[in-house]
Amino acid sequence: MSMAPTFAYHPDEAEAEKASNSYLMSLIAIMVGFPLPIINLMATLFFYIANRKSTYFVRWHCIQALLSQLSLFVINTIGFWWTVSVFFREDEHVSNPYLAYVITVFVVNVFELALTIVAAIKTRKGQHVSWWFYGPLTQMMCKP
Amino acid sequence: MKKTILQAFILLSMAAGIYLLISRVDWMKLFRIEKMTDALEQKLGDMVWAGMEEQSIEEGKEYQRVDSLVTAICKSNGFERKKIKLHIMGDSEVNAFALPDRHMVVHTGLINAVHNNDELSGVLAHEIAHMELSHVMKKLLKQMGYTLLISITTGEAGGGAIKELLGMLSSTAYDRKLEKDADIKAIEYLKKTGISPNGFADFLYRLGEKDGSLGSLSWISTHPDSKERAKYIREKAGR
Repeated sequence: MSMAPTFAYHPDEAEAEKASNSYLMSLIAIMVGFPLPIINLMATLFFYIANRKSTYFVRWHCIQALLSQLSLFVINTIGFWWTVSVFFREDEHVSNPYLAYVITVFVVNVFELALTIVAAIKTRKGQHVSWWFYGPLTQMMCKP
Repeated sequence: MKKTILQAFILLSMAAGIYLLISRVDWMKLFRIEKMTDALEQKLGDMVWAGMEEQSIEEGKEYQRVDSLVTAICKSNGFERKKIKLHIMGDSEVNAFALPDRHMVVHTGLINAVHNNDELSGVLAHEIAHMELSHVMKKLLKQMGYTLLISITTGEAGGGAIKELLGMLSSTAYDRKLEKDADIKAIEYLKKTGISPNGFADFLYRLGEKDGSLGSLSWISTHPDSKERAKYIREKAGR
């Protein structure tokens, strides 16, 4: 899912750290906000806002992290509200489609978590990481 | 741009594919959820009923009347009559309710309040529908939770919890949608039995009017908007 193309320039140490932090932000948020999917999105959004005037490399990775959290937010939100209705609505109950969805959400989150860890490590080393779909999308949104 | 859209499409298809693949597995069976719930239901049903058994009338004219109506509904709808544990209680309250593990309790107050067998069949079909649609356990799991229900069966929750559970099932309504689902199923059962659902609607309408001669109206106070229910039952009965 990830590619390692060359970036327009080689980022310095401080840039690499900040870019890596954008991914770490979503990692920390996953642990804190697992039942509340909005927390992950808010964390990466605030980090992006704080760094929106930063260098191209930092902005690029902040946007990629934000976009990936956005799609995860949609998937997790559906799971969250489905779970709430299973607990509180009498006409909703634990069913096979519900369990399959929860397991899918878990698989997708684990996959995303692994990708995020790899991206955080690589960008910390100053390497550029462009994810499949999210990379080109970020490229369209983020200009030097 | 086209490439990104294509990638988005592939990504979405992959997510949907993962979900479809995972949903092929019978997780309910794998996690033994249904088996566990069935065992819990049986235990709860036995425990709740043990506390009420003394007031039960298991023979006589009233029992036979209700039994024949329940048997007719079961026979026409392919339900095993033996699975329904019918109990008549000597109580003037107009009430009938389902307990876990297919215990069905009918008060003599209800039997005296109906004008004919069609009306009584309507209420019985409604309670059978609650049992067939697993509404009893759904309600208990929702309002008390799995852990509390298990602790009731192990005796950890104390005797008060069983009383609370009984009170909940005999005096509080299911949510609106479940009540409507049970009404619609009841219409289906009645039609298959050759009984006009209009009797059921008439009874509901009368209860909605809060006829003073009916005495204490538990069944209706737990089943709101009875006039509205009578209206849609009449509409569906006509089809």
